[in-house]
Amino acid sequence: MIERFQNLDWSYYLPELWEATQETIYMVVMAFAISGGIGLALGLLLYTTREGNILANKPVFATVNFVVNTIRPIPFIILLAAIQPLTLQVVGTGIGNTAVIHVMVWASTFAIARVVEQNLVSIDPGVIEAARAMGASRTRIIFTVILPEGLGPLVLGYTFVIIALIDMSALAGVIGGGGLGNFAIVEGYQRFRPEVTWLAVIVIVVMVQGLQLVGNRAARKVMRR
Amino acid sequence: MSTPSTESTAALAAGGGPLIRFSNVTRTFTTGKSSSVTAVDDVSFTVNRGEVYGVIGFSGAGKSTLIRLVNGLEKPTSGTITVLGQQISGMPESKLRHVRSRIGMVFQQFNLFTSRTVAGNVAYPLKVAGWKKDEREARVAELLEFVGLADKAKAYPEQLSGGQKQRVGIARALAAKPDILLADESTSALDPSTTEEVLRLLRRANEELGITIVAITHEMEVIRAIADRVAVMDKGRIVEEGPVYDVFSNPRSGAEASFVGSALKDRPTDADLARIRKSTSGRLITVSLRNSAAVGAVLGRAAALGVSFEIVHGGMNTTKNAAFGLLTISVEGDDAAVAGFLAELRSAGDVQEISTGATGEEAAR
Repeated sequence: MIERFQNLDWSYYLPELWEATQETIYMVVMAFAISGGIGLALGLLLYTTREGNILANKPVFATVNFVVNTIRPIPFIILLAAIQPLTLQVVGTGIGNTAVIHVMVWASTFAIARVVEQNLVSIDPGVIEAARAMGASRTRIIFTVILPEGLGPLVLGYTFVIIALIDMSALAGVIGGGGLGNFAIVEGYQRFRPEVTWLAVIVIVVMVQGLQLVGNRAARKVMRR
Repeated sequence: MSTPSTESTAALAAGGGPLIRFSNVTRTFTTGKSSSVTAVDDVSFTVNRGEVYGVIGFSGAGKSTLIRLVNGLEKPTSGTITVLGQQISGMPESKLRHVRSRIGMVFQQFNLFTSRTVAGNVAYPLKVAGWKKDEREARVAELLEFVGLADKAKAYPEQLSGGQKQRVGIARALAAKPDILLADESTSALDPSTTEEVLRLLRRANEELGITIVAITHEMEVIRAIADRVAVMDKGRIVEEGPVYDVFSNPRSGAEASFVGSALKDRPTDADLARIRKSTSGRLITVSLRNSAAVGAVLGRAAALGVSFEIVHGGMNTTKNAAFGLLTISVEGDDAAVAGFLAELRSAGDVQEISTGATGEEAAR
């Protein structure tokens, strides 16, 4: 294996690898920029409308919960194909990185909604009651109690989602997108060059490790309990 | 339950009127399709300005629900609640907020914001009430001084001990200069010495700042140390209410006896009675020690009255401003002599006979 790496044409593969890495980062950042906010709003809606919480509302909770549960379990590779007509309508093309980003936004929005809800559940209801007892409005409670109190777990949850987005972006090649997944399959697997596939693996592992490290540190910094 | 007409008249005369008035308030929780629990059952009481009103009862008696009805965190199923001159039962949440900003609340588990510093916690209700930044800072400093935590302003709650956390809780509850302070089992998570410290603080808030306090607790200690009047709660009802001294110093019967008795340890329990019965065959008499000197004088004349007695159980306690207790004695002598002795004893205190073989509670029925 080491010999294979030594014989590799670095002048070809290195720029290719660099471009694929940039494409992956681009897809992940673009998708997250959109789904991060929408997913947070949806997650807050799920959390606050749950029975006994500050905006408790059975029909709203049941509806959002149902939609999240419907879209979330669809495997990403199937979602890519299944919502292609919608992708065409929204971004004007059914293939390429932009089309992939569109599908990633859908998948990650609902994933984030659930992750946000599950992490907010860990907030002590007592502090919310304390804020209510002081006469704080519901909106104020959401922004000045629920979000700050849940920030630590939320940071960890978001780290998890960003890593999941890297995972999704690896399937971009299926509908003509690029990135590290496409690089690993097209340049490595299909040409019987496992060492090239491993180049992509190494880059992804380094990216994920780095992200998790940053996420853990940030969460520890904001968590005070 | 009595409508405390004398107190409210006095308060009205002083230009106040009750700050809190519950009239036939019931709160029922549905626990299943056809089952429900009545946490607060037809409760009426009033709390006057400047008073410390204690509510005591076993856990599950409905105290937590009761105190949350005062600031609208719980809504009554029926009955009316008037707080600070406004009827809050049926009031929409948006209006309730204004009433709540005039009511501070202290919690058993402190409920401090873990993401905010001590100063940030105390400042929060001031932000809610719309205070300006410099006014907020001055008020926070003043309050931290009041609770003795000025040096902890920049600390986070996780860095504090339980007692310190509760002092922050009190500072936060007092921040927006409320008229009423609700103390929800405020010392139940603390050890005895810290409890003392927190109770002193509540007492100062009442005496120095003139804040009306409603305190719910299962600890007799709290009632004794700070309350002016007390309500004994059992299964959602107020079974006895009155000035602390009166409620605790009378020999009791029925539901309130089981709680007050077990907490004060001033009357013999069933186990005590069984043990006492083994060593003595006299009539068991319980007398209140409201006027312990007079009781002592009667006991001193026992021989002259033709009876002998043995002290089998007793306990004395102090409240905010008086001492009280119960003494149980076993009396022997011929019937006429015992009757004469009891007549004398009745002039010294309230007398109750514990009938032989029966438990205290059965005797009451």
